[in-house]
Amino acid sequence: MSPILPALSVLFAVLATAVPWGLPADATFMLPLVVVMMVFCWRLMPDVVLPLTACLLLGLLTDVMSGGPLGFFALMALIAASVGGLLRVAVEPRDLRFLWLIWSALALALGVLGWLLGSLYFLRWIDWWPILFGTLASIALFPVVLRGLVWIRRGRFGPDRSNLFRSSS
Amino acid sequence: MRGGASSIYRSPRRSWRRARGELLTFTLYFFCALLLVLSRIGHNGIDGLRERFVDLSAPLLEAMSIPVIEGRHLIKRARTYADAFAEIDRLRAENDQLKQWEWNAKLLERKNAHLRALLNAVDEPALNFVTGSVIADARGPFLRSALINLGRDNGVRVGYAVIDGNGLVGHTIDAGSSVARVLLLNDLNSHIPVLVGPAGVRAMASGDNSAELRLDFLPDGTSLYEGDEVYTSGSDGVLPRGLRVGTVTGTPGAFRVRPYADLRALDAVSVLFFDTPELVNSDPVAGPIDGPLSAAPTSAASTLPQPVQPVSSVNPVGSAVKHAGAEDGSAAGGGEAQADQ
Repeated sequence: MSPILPALSVLFAVLATAVPWGLPADATFMLPLVVVMMVFCWRLMPDVVLPLTACLLLGLLTDVMSGGPLGFFALMALIAASVGGLLRVAVEPRDLRFLWLIWSALALALGVLGWLLGSLYFLRWIDWWPILFGTLASIALFPVVLRGLVWIRRGRFGPDRSNLFRSSS
Repeated sequence: MRGGASSIYRSPRRSWRRARGELLTFTLYFFCALLLVLSRIGHNGIDGLRERFVDLSAPLLEAMSIPVIEGRHLIKRARTYADAFAEIDRLRAENDQLKQWEWNAKLLERKNAHLRALLNAVDEPALNFVTGSVIADARGPFLRSALINLGRDNGVRVGYAVIDGNGLVGHTIDAGSSVARVLLLNDLNSHIPVLVGPAGVRAMASGDNSAELRLDFLPDGTSLYEGDEVYTSGSDGVLPRGLRVGTVTGTPGAFRVRPYADLRALDAVSVLFFDTPELVNSDPVAGPIDGPLSAAPTSAASTLPQPVQPVSSVNPVGSAVKHAGAEDGSAAGGGEAQADQ
C-alpha cells in the first residue's frame, strides 16, 4: 500500500465534510467525527504510515472547512491518533467488537471534551444534543468505516473477517 | 559480551528517540491549544490564513459539491413526482387565493402611488444584488455557515445580507476574492433585530444552532400569535429593513421564529449590496461608496453581471420590502431590489 494513501483517504473525507449534503442541523458533529474516526482506525493498523503531524494538519483542515474554532478538531484528531497509536503498540487488536468498544468509549470521551471545550470557547453552555447525536452516529458507523479502510489497505475485503489487521505481506 | 555491549549502546538511543517522540506530541498538543486561544481572541493573521486557504480550495469544493447538489435535486424531483396529484390540488386552491390577493395588491398599489404623488415622496433607492450558489456546507457543531461562490471580485464585502427565494438566510462574515462565508440565521452568534407581527413589535431573533430562532427582548405584555410575520428592522445599521425572516411559532414566554429559508438545504442565494456607514467603516476594502446608502461598490460595478428582471417577493406585512430572491437554478445573476430605508 502506498504510504500516502491513509492521509489521502482522510483528506478526501475532510473535503466531503464540507460538501452541502443537506443534513439536518443536529447531524453537524457527525461528519467531522467520522474524520477523527478514520484517523483512529488508520493509526490502529500495523505497517500504516500516518504521522501525528499529518493527523494534526488533517484536523486543522477540518476546522478550516467547518469554519469553527481553529485547533478544535485538530485536538480531537491528535487525541484519536495518540490512542490509536498506543493501541497498536500495546495490544495488537484484531477483534472488531473490542475495537468497537474502544471507539465507543473514545467517542463518548471526545464528545464530552468537545462539549466542554466548545462551552468554554463560546463562554456559554452549548447545545449538547448535536454532539451526542454525532457521537452515537459515529459509533454506529464504526464497523462500516473500519471495513472500508481495511479494504483500502488490502485492496479487497479479506476472507477471514475476524482477522482485520493481518499483515499485508 | 557483544550482545550486552550492543544493548548498552542501543538503550540511550531508543530512549532519546522516545523522548523526541514525546516532545513532538507535547508540541503538537500545545500548538492546538495555542491555535484555540488565538482563534478565540480573533487573531488577524489566523483569520487571513483561513480566508486565503478557503479561497484556494474553492474550485475543488465547487467541483465536489456539483454531484451532491444534482443528487439532491433528483431526490427533490422524485418526491415532487410522487406527490404530483396532491400538489396540483394544493396549487389550484392557492391560485384561487392568489387571484384575490392580486386584485387587492393592484388596488393598494394604485392607492399607494396616488398617495406618494400627493406627498411628493422620494423613490426608495434600489439595491443591487448578485446571485451565486452554495459550494460548501460549512456547518460544524459550533457554527452554522455556508460558503458561496461570490467574493470581493463580485463586490461582496463583510456584513452584506444574503437571501434566497424564501427570505433572509444570513449575512457575510468573511469574504475572499472568489468566495464568502455566510453566517446563517440559526448560528449561535447570529442576532438580528426584527419587527414582529402587524404591530411591528421590536425584538431580537437569535440563533441557538437549532432549526428555529429564539425571540429575545420582547417587550412585556406583547401579544403575538403563531404565524405572525417576522422581518428585519434594520436598526443594527447593517441589514436593510423589511427582509422577510420567518413566522412566529411556539407559546407565550417561549416564542420562536421558523425561518422561511430552508437553512439546511441552501442552493442559490443572492447577496444584497446594502452599504451603510457602519458597514463601510468595519470593512472598507471594497472601495469608496457613492452615497450614504450606495448601491454596488464602484470597484465591483464593472464586474457585476447586468441587472436582470428582479423577482418581486411580496411581503405580507405592509409590503415593507420588494426584494429579489434567488430561486433554484437562477445562479450567477445580478439585479436590483428595493427595501424600505
